[in-house]
Amino acid sequence: MDENNQRWMKGDGLYVLIAQVVALALFLFLWEWASRERIIDPIFIGQPTKIFAYLYNGTLVDPILFREAFWTLAATGAAFFLGIVAGILFGLLFVVWPVSEKFFDPLFSGLNALPRIALAPLFLLWFGLGLGSKIALGFSLTFFIILNNTIAGARSVDTDWIVLSRMLGANKATTFFKVTLISAVPTIFSGLRLGLIYALLGVIASEIIAAQRGLGQLLTYLAGTFDTNGVFAVLFFLAIMSVILMKFMSWIEARLLRWR
Amino acid sequence: MPHEYEVRNEESVLSENMETVAAPLSGGGGTAKPEDAHGAIDIKAVTHEFPGNVLAVSDANLRVRGGEFVSIVGPSGCGKTTLLNLLAGLIDVQTGSISLAGSPPKAGRHDVAYMLARDCLFPWRTALSNATLGGEFRGVPKKERVQRARDMLRKVGLSGFENNYPKALSHGMRQRVALARTFSLSSSILLMDEPFGALDAQTKLQLEDVLLDLWTEERRTVVFITHDLNEAVTLSDRVIVMSARPGRIIKDIPIPLERPRSARALQKDPLYHEIYAEVWTWLEQGLNGGDDG
Ligand SMILES: Nc1ncnc2c1ncn2[C@@H]1O[C@H](COP(=O)(O)OP(=O)(O)O)[C@@H](O)[C@H]1O
Ligand SMILES: [Mg+2]
Repeated sequence: MDENNQRWMKGDGLYVLIAQVVALALFLFLWEWASRERIIDPIFIGQPTKIFAYLYNGTLVDPILFREAFWTLAATGAAFFLGIVAGILFGLLFVVWPVSEKFFDPLFSGLNALPRIALAPLFLLWFGLGLGSKIALGFSLTFFIILNNTIAGARSVDTDWIVLSRMLGANKATTFFKVTLISAVPTIFSGLRLGLIYALLGVIASEIIAAQRGLGQLLTYLAGTFDTNGVFAVLFFLAIMSVILMKFMSWIEARLLRWR
Repeated sequence: MPHEYEVRNEESVLSENMETVAAPLSGGGGTAKPEDAHGAIDIKAVTHEFPGNVLAVSDANLRVRGGEFVSIVGPSGCGKTTLLNLLAGLIDVQTGSISLAGSPPKAGRHDVAYMLARDCLFPWRTALSNATLGGEFRGVPKKERVQRARDMLRKVGLSGFENNYPKALSHGMRQRVALARTFSLSSSILLMDEPFGALDAQTKLQLEDVLLDLWTEERRTVVFITHDLNEAVTLSDRVIVMSARPGRIIKDIPIPLERPRSARALQKDPLYHEIYAEVWTWLEQGLNGGDDG
């Protein structure tokens, strides 16, 4: 990481950074100016200084952003976790026992093809406005991603490795856990990252449709009361939050897959 | 187990020539000494046909004595790998019979080790952890298998690389690890399918010497497949020549070169070149008229 940064800062990188800062400052300045002078109605575009003020108040003064983010993250975490467990278990089941995949295929293919957001009303009916319906929607997205990656990873195991393990005296279970499963980990991991993004997507979507708490619900509320600055502030906050989540995943991946 | 190896080593040091050690064992037939059964291989009238009338091996007969190093050479596609996989128990015997140390082939039996041209190292395991793999799968206590693997890594010249992942090793080093993994098992029979086939000439010579050292130290039965005649002559007690498909054993050539040998030193030995020429003649015969034998 550090090494990369250093190389990046040297040479072209520094100029790019300066250009980016200048462009951003110019953009914010124009935005602020257009809004103050009412060249564009602030109802549509808000105003950078007020967006910043909302962010400041919402995090440090009365941390409403953190409070709502807590509910969003809790649901995302639960959907992600359940998606991983179910996705990996079903994936491994299908690999070990291919007939089971044939059996579930019509159901899973159908569900996977369905635009999952369409399930939101049903989930709301079943689980109400609390965590349950958000988790369900996030899970419905994450599950299939993890499932497909687990199957792809476990199926692509090098056959020579399997032959070697057999010759070295490994039984089927040992071969499965120490060879097939481990060799699938990188592929499963690339699924995890995507799965997390989709878990968050499902949760936010569910909150926007209907919920009592969460950043999605806050977004709907702010937009409904024409608080454009608030909307921009929440979007900005969400973007930062997702970036941090992705960085966290990369960090875990790098630690776990040091051998790559 | 180690005790047996020690005894055999003494014998070979005394006589310096494996042929004379092995000779009394070969004539015995039914009244085999215990050493003879130890790692002996018997292939009787084995024929193997793949679907689509591909006759890969035709009426193969071969006896390998315990502790003997036998190479099988032959043109590409003549059924060498098929024969080895039959020995390994990876494919089932159709016609004829095979016995290893008195029992039929079976994948995973503890007295057989197996090595391929591809190193097949697990990228998520370090060199040491790869070298201990066999012991781990076979339930050797941890301390013992780690000790053994460290020892082997040292012998193949990889001290200091125990904790490297395969991505941080060269091709030659990776194959050294595979060699250590194979020899870390105390299996009395080694089946090797062109283990150095993917290496450059220089590395190959080095690894041949490593293999010779390991084998001299712990005498085991080796069936070694190669398409490299130099390698076959350098390493073996006997070279078996197979003809082009349908793969048939056309010649069994003893290699009376003195042991211990060194791949590099042999290059200057006139006897070596004489034998090489003989093997080459037979191989050529196999290429042209394998069928009229
Ligand atoms: N699984 C298989 N199915 C059909 N044909 C095979 C199979 N394996 C090998 N063969 C054929 O059998 C012949 C011998 O193959 P092989 O033993 O791999 O030769 P070698 O190792 O001497 O190069 C070849 O013609 C090959 O195409
Ligand atoms: Mg082959």
